[in-house]
Amino acid sequence: MNKVFLFCLSLILLLSSCIELIDDLTIHNDGSGTFKYTMNLSSSKIKVNSILALDSINGKKVLSKAEIKSKINLFASHLKTQAGISNVSVSINDLELIVKFSCDFTSVSTLQNGLKNSLIAINNIKNTEDLNQNWLSYDGEVLKRNIPLFSITLSDHVKELDIDLLKTGNYTSINRFDRPIVKVEKVGAKINPSRTACMLKVSTYDLHKNYSLIDNCIYLSPIKNK
Amino acid sequence: MKKLMFFLLLVNFSNVKSQSELLIPKEAITVFSINNINLLQKISVDELIQYEFMEEVHQELFDGSTSEKTLKDAGIDFNQRLNVFYGKNNDYELSGFTFGVSDLTNLFEVFDDFEELQSKYDNTKLYGSFFNNLIIKNNAALLIRFEPSYELVNRKTDSIWYSRGNLPPFDFNEEAFNEEVFETEDSTYLEPIIYDQEELPIEIDDPNEKNYNELRDSVQITLQEALLTNLLDALFIDNLNLVKSDTRFSEQFTHPCEATFYFDNSRSFKTANGLWYFQTIMPSIYKDLQELYTGNIILGDLFLKEKSIDFMVKTYYGEELGDIYSEMNDAKFDKNIAKYIHKGNSAFFTYNVNMKKAYEKAYETIMPIISAEKNADVAMNVLMLELLNEFVDKDAVFDTYKGSMFGTFNGIKKINTKKIEFIYDEITFEYEEQETEAVEDMPVFTLGFSMGREDIPEIILRNLGKLTSKFEKHDDYWVLKNAILEAAPLYMISKNNLFIFTNDEDLAVNHSDGYGTNSLPKKLVRKLKRGGFMNGYLDIAGTLNRFPSDLLNNQQSEMINSLKGKSGKMYLGSSKTTNKLTAFNLKYEFNGTEYSGQHLLDLINTVYIFSK
Repeated sequence: MNKVFLFCLSLILLLSSCIELIDDLTIHNDGSGTFKYTMNLSSSKIKVNSILALDSINGKKVLSKAEIKSKINLFASHLKTQAGISNVSVSINDLELIVKFSCDFTSVSTLQNGLKNSLIAINNIKNTEDLNQNWLSYDGEVLKRNIPLFSITLSDHVKELDIDLLKTGNYTSINRFDRPIVKVEKVGAKINPSRTACMLKVSTYDLHKNYSLIDNCIYLSPIKNK
Repeated sequence: MKKLMFFLLLVNFSNVKSQSELLIPKEAITVFSINNINLLQKISVDELIQYEFMEEVHQELFDGSTSEKTLKDAGIDFNQRLNVFYGKNNDYELSGFTFGVSDLTNLFEVFDDFEELQSKYDNTKLYGSFFNNLIIKNNAALLIRFEPSYELVNRKTDSIWYSRGNLPPFDFNEEAFNEEVFETEDSTYLEPIIYDQEELPIEIDDPNEKNYNELRDSVQITLQEALLTNLLDALFIDNLNLVKSDTRFSEQFTHPCEATFYFDNSRSFKTANGLWYFQTIMPSIYKDLQELYTGNIILGDLFLKEKSIDFMVKTYYGEELGDIYSEMNDAKFDKNIAKYIHKGNSAFFTYNVNMKKAYEKAYETIMPIISAEKNADVAMNVLMLELLNEFVDKDAVFDTYKGSMFGTFNGIKKINTKKIEFIYDEITFEYEEQETEAVEDMPVFTLGFSMGREDIPEIILRNLGKLTSKFEKHDDYWVLKNAILEAAPLYMISKNNLFIFTNDEDLAVNHSDGYGTNSLPKKLVRKLKRGGFMNGYLDIAGTLNRFPSDLLNNQQSEMINSLKGKSGKMYLGSSKTTNKLTAFNLKYEFNGTEYSGQHLLDLINTVYIFSK
């Protein structure tokens, strides 16, 4: 029976599937803001659940849903203790496989440091060189965004099987401000009619092949003095 | 008359044992003997050593000196058989092959790492290399690797080490143990343990006295030599080999087939491992149970045809085990099963057993063995079993689960699921969740069981239906929503004395009484009825070629990989089971343009991996 079940599961893994990622960053005039991150795997439930049902894949242990949940919660609890970070919230819909995360921050650098420290803590990362990079910078007028180096290192380990997961997926990056955007460097980024938000949508597969797709530089109009 | 003479000559020729099989050691548990090795003349040595069944001995060949050489150039005598063997028990593991030699010069161009050693056996030359030994007697050769088991070497080394008054050789580092073994929650895999220098065996002041590892190396080499000497003495002084020690193996050489297969399950390491608990905790039960396995042997013949290979296998067993099997397999093919197998299925199997008869026979045979054990735990278990046997309504149990079953793989189908989409407001770029229909690919399987009591699953399902709204009753079937991987429904059909689980909506909704004219053809059904307890069909291209071997363990993965890339069909049939044997016939029809000898090797390799 187990062998039949294993056979069924393993065939499922060959099938195509997709992932949807949304990062939503709001920056107020005073530099504080809110960061929201959403991962939606609901359209790949069969594939993801079939992977989660296995003990290991390619010789590596597959975490159970409970272990993944505990890891996310551990990340959130570390982030809560970081200076300048507040209102950390995590919701996990394990039926639809949607994870939502959000937090408020006092400045872009506190957000970046908080995320770095929490990642180091939960992943037991010893080599923190990749994490020294600033993937977010904001000087009050220009927001620069790059892809974090550690995520490139991690995605280099993505096997062919996992790349299938990215093929029909997409990554959406939204940046919101209190005042109008003057210019966006990235071709393809959309600006809303009030010019207070811009959205960049790329395929996760293309992003895996070319990390600079998500790099962007957003120029804001000067703050009006009252 | 000429034809008769030719026929007699042919029969006579096939009955004559060549020298090579007389070199197969009696310690071998698995043997492949390739008769018509002319088939392999075109196969290069490099190609041959890629097969797993050559892996234990291939280092000697795979050193560059064999490039572009075929077996024909290797000094091998094609009038003799090529016999590949393997054996393993708790104390040792051996592997190798025997073959005929036609030209020693050519042979040593391939086996160029061997050095001649002193031989104490008449007319026998002995050669050795780092891993293997080559022994040539007359015009036959034995290439063998014989190694003592890790456990045996440790046991002997420890015995000598402690008898010399030494302390334990390894320092136990509790801190390192805790860190490396247990604190792995955050890692996705276990890192290999790297011991610090101080954990190595302690250096001894006296340079003439060996430390633990040096002693262990010496013990290993001594044991290896002793094992090999015993084996060679038996072969070349006592003239004892597998052909002489097992008449069933010897008889196989009279079969006019391309290759034969021998597997002695009663001596198999796997069987011994399965009985480990009894061996260590209850040795008297172990002895009795081991007797059940006496005579348990699998013999097979491979017949190579133009576009197919027939593999005829006979499984023999001892009287008591045979009685259980023959009772168990005394079941008629349930004709209702055929209605639910679509004629276009990529793979299916049927399995007919009579669980009630098997239970009764096993109870009659095994209970006296267990009852005789004077052990409090066993006595309580015996009491429990005897009470259950008296109180439980066995007719109801075995009418509900008769034991016969079938399974099918119906290909990949699109199934409807739900997904959450994020819909964006184009003005604000805010987004919200919306449930939409989705279609996902899903491999479709069906698993069905014969039963005489349709009312029992109905009782269970009816009551489960009251507990959760996920169970829904329809006219012809039940459905459990999101049962498969929390996304796809599982359908249950209780009809025609069958209880069927499937994720095939079409079967449940439109064919709950079977596929009608699209089910298995009558001719095939008649064949299944006439056959034994097990039948199967597999379209290799439709199933195995899509199988992701990364997910399997090494042995399973090797087996699947050995058949990947092939196109063809496999049919498995079995005879009626008697209390002595069951015969199986595996027919492998191939469509490829590959050389037939390669197909033969592929199949041998698959069977080898399976039996290892």
